Amino acid sequence: MITFEGAAKRHPDGTVAVEGLDLDGPAGRITVLVGPSGCGKTTLLRMVNRMVEPTSGRVLLNGEDVASLPAARLRRGIGYVIQQAGLFPHRRVLDNVATVPRLLGQDRRTARARAAELLELVGLPPETARRYPFQLSGGQQQRVGVARALAADPPVLLMDEPFSAVDPVVRAGLQEELLRLQSELNKTVLFVTHDIEEAVRLGDQVVVLREHGRIAQCADPHTLLTAPANNDVAAFLGRDRGLRGLGLRPASTVGLLPTGTELHGWRLAVDANGRPEGWERGGERRPAPVFAPAADSLRSALDAAVLSPAGAAVAVDGTGRATGLATRAAVLAALGPSVEEPAAERPATEPTAGEPAGGR
Amino acid sequence: MNWLGWLTTFFTAPARQSGPDAIAHRIAEHLVFCGEALLWAVVLAVPLGVLIGYTGRGAFVVTALTGAARALPTLGLVTLAVLLAGVGDTAVLVPLVALAAPPLLVAAAEGVRGTDPVVRDAALGIGLTHRQVLARVCLPAAAPVLLAGLRTATVQTIATATVAAYVGLGGLGRYVVDGLATKDYPATVGGALLVVLLAVAAQLLFAPLIRRASPPQARLTRRTRTRRTKEPR
Amino acid sequence: MDGEPLVRWHWIGDHLGYLRDLALDHAVISLVPVLIALLAAVPLGLLCARLPRLYQPLAAVFNVVYALPAIAVFVVLIPYTGLATRATVMVPLTCYALAVLLPATVDGLRAVPEDVRQAATALGYGPWHRLAAVELPASVPYLVAGVRVAAVSSISLAAVGALVGRGGLGYLFVDGFQRTFPTPIVAGIALVVLLALATDLLLVLARRLLAPWASGGAR
Repeated sequence: MITFEGAAKRHPDGTVAVEGLDLDGPAGRITVLVGPSGCGKTTLLRMVNRMVEPTSGRVLLNGEDVASLPAARLRRGIGYVIQQAGLFPHRRVLDNVATVPRLLGQDRRTARARAAELLELVGLPPETARRYPFQLSGGQQQRVGVARALAADPPVLLMDEPFSAVDPVVRAGLQEELLRLQSELNKTVLFVTHDIEEAVRLGDQVVVLREHGRIAQCADPHTLLTAPANNDVAAFLGRDRGLRGLGLRPASTVGLLPTGTELHGWRLAVDANGRPEGWERGGERRPAPVFAPAADSLRSALDAAVLSPAGAAVAVDGTGRATGLATRAAVLAALGPSVEEPAAERPATEPTAGEPAGGR
Repeated sequence: MNWLGWLTTFFTAPARQSGPDAIAHRIAEHLVFCGEALLWAVVLAVPLGVLIGYTGRGAFVVTALTGAARALPTLGLVTLAVLLAGVGDTAVLVPLVALAAPPLLVAAAEGVRGTDPVVRDAALGIGLTHRQVLARVCLPAAAPVLLAGLRTATVQTIATATVAAYVGLGGLGRYVVDGLATKDYPATVGGALLVVLLAVAAQLLFAPLIRRASPPQARLTRRTRTRRTKEPR
Repeated sequence: MDGEPLVRWHWIGDHLGYLRDLALDHAVISLVPVLIALLAAVPLGLLCARLPRLYQPLAAVFNVVYALPAIAVFVVLIPYTGLATRATVMVPLTCYALAVLLPATVDGLRAVPEDVRQAATALGYGPWHRLAAVELPASVPYLVAGVRVAAVSSISLAAVGALVGRGGLGYLFVDGFQRTFPTPIVAGIALVVLLALATDLLLVLARRLLAPWASGGAR
């Protein structure tokens, strides 16, 4: 567990980076610090491995003050991933990953064997090991960065905007990979980003920061999206947060109609194996958008329902067989009783005092 | 080994006060000759460098020239020129210009090429002609690099002109070469000292010029890195 | 010079051994200083990278040293190192090489990307350890680029030493000039350039070997 106790950073010139923050990052969970640039999120992250020393307050790792350990030794026990990956240009990928085990005194063979395992773990093909960083794509470099951070099996992982330098498609892949890794490894992760989408997607706990490291809200993603603490947070979350909130809820609660039901004259055609072939009306046939109630979110279900000519998404099981139809009304009904809304209905157009967080 | 004695002997000798071997006369000779060589080098190298830098064509010429010019031995060129063209200042001028031109060419090409392409595009976009972009955008931006190249060329020429005294050129090199030949150590050392002072003076003279030519933010952050393109001796 | 051809090939054929000896002497007096300068520049550069206050004045001094005409420096050294000795030529050449290599080392260390530096710190390298294990190896391409400039310049400069009696191949220039005989001069120029090219080529190969990760030119 990572604990901030009144951690503050004042620069010698009097400017304040972080005013004094109290926060717990629970063990085995991903805590995301999110906020506009200049909110002190990176400063906070770097206090954990003492790349920044707080001017007052302290940071504890499992109850132990990080300042009580020699900085270099502390850092070898904390994984750190940064935006540019920061791979050593002069070392092959394998030796980049083996860096910390070597620093910890492991012999070269053991360290390299471990490094090879890690490359596999982060989804890199074995031939990558002998390459130099400049021969890799940005996404691959970032994977190597993650592997290097994990090499000594540190219980704590610090990630400073690790995916913001890669394009959106690669980023989505890396995010998925991180979630998969985390489900296997259960690290205590502190993750910094300015991208609220990413924060909501990855975080078990999302901390929205304002300037000087003041906490605007600290909550799980669902609570954050459905019940922002105030107008500033709502503005920062953006306009379609309600819809995005659906992305966090499982589609398994949607009530289904039998696959044979006729809707507005449309009927679902299925092949011999029961897989949907399309919607038919008269001689017309249109594609049938599907969703998997077991794996997908309510957002996917709604999306499929909106795109369907019959106004209903086709639910499929793991083999692709149609198991039922979810109408738009059924998807909306799965939302349950309407969630409590904060005072502001139109946060983006309502001028608010203080920072214009949504604009950043 | 008495520096004070040597220098006193050198500077107080009557021959150093007036006549062809007077210090003032030798310095003037040195400066005039170097100036002439530099002028030729600038006229020949800078327009070509600007053209290469602006069009981006022939960059390999620049690379090849820098390498070759750095490798060429001064003394060899000077002696060969005189043997081929006969004793006389014109013959010596050729190797001097040849050695001063490459740093200028490189500086002009790199300076112009180094202009922020965004600024260049913007200038073309608001309707400037290529000629105007070159004159109003590229050349001012290239000025610090160009001046640094001129400094390198100047220091280089001062040194080469000294060596050229060996083949009969006037100037401060006369003291050194004649002193060595006649075992007149005061003259050798005195001449060497004057050459050193001249080179350092030239080097220092350019510092404020380059600073003034640099854009404001570079001046503030003091990061005007002047590139070394050619041996300055 | 009437009727004298630019090159008398038979003279070159008759003097191959002599030319080889001069070339070897030239290589020693011009390249050993570069080696010495390199051995000094690396620790000095590491020190300067950690202490910028030390580097500022040192850089200023070497900037001036670099501008000193070699012939003048050779001459001034004669009373201490003697006429026609190796030291008279090699001491200044070492200083010139150092004037190139120290900035090259420091620039190379500074050019290591900030994210690499940060990552090294975060992985648990102490400041000196990081400098030696990460920043120095990462700056090898810069260092080699510096050595290339220093070596080629040194080879061409050493020839001027002929005026104070020790210039390796430079002696051919003095000899040819005194006898109004261009063949040795042409041979000397060619050999100096060849020696420089060969050295440069070796250094490029050395960079490929030492820094295979630096594709193309200095990163």
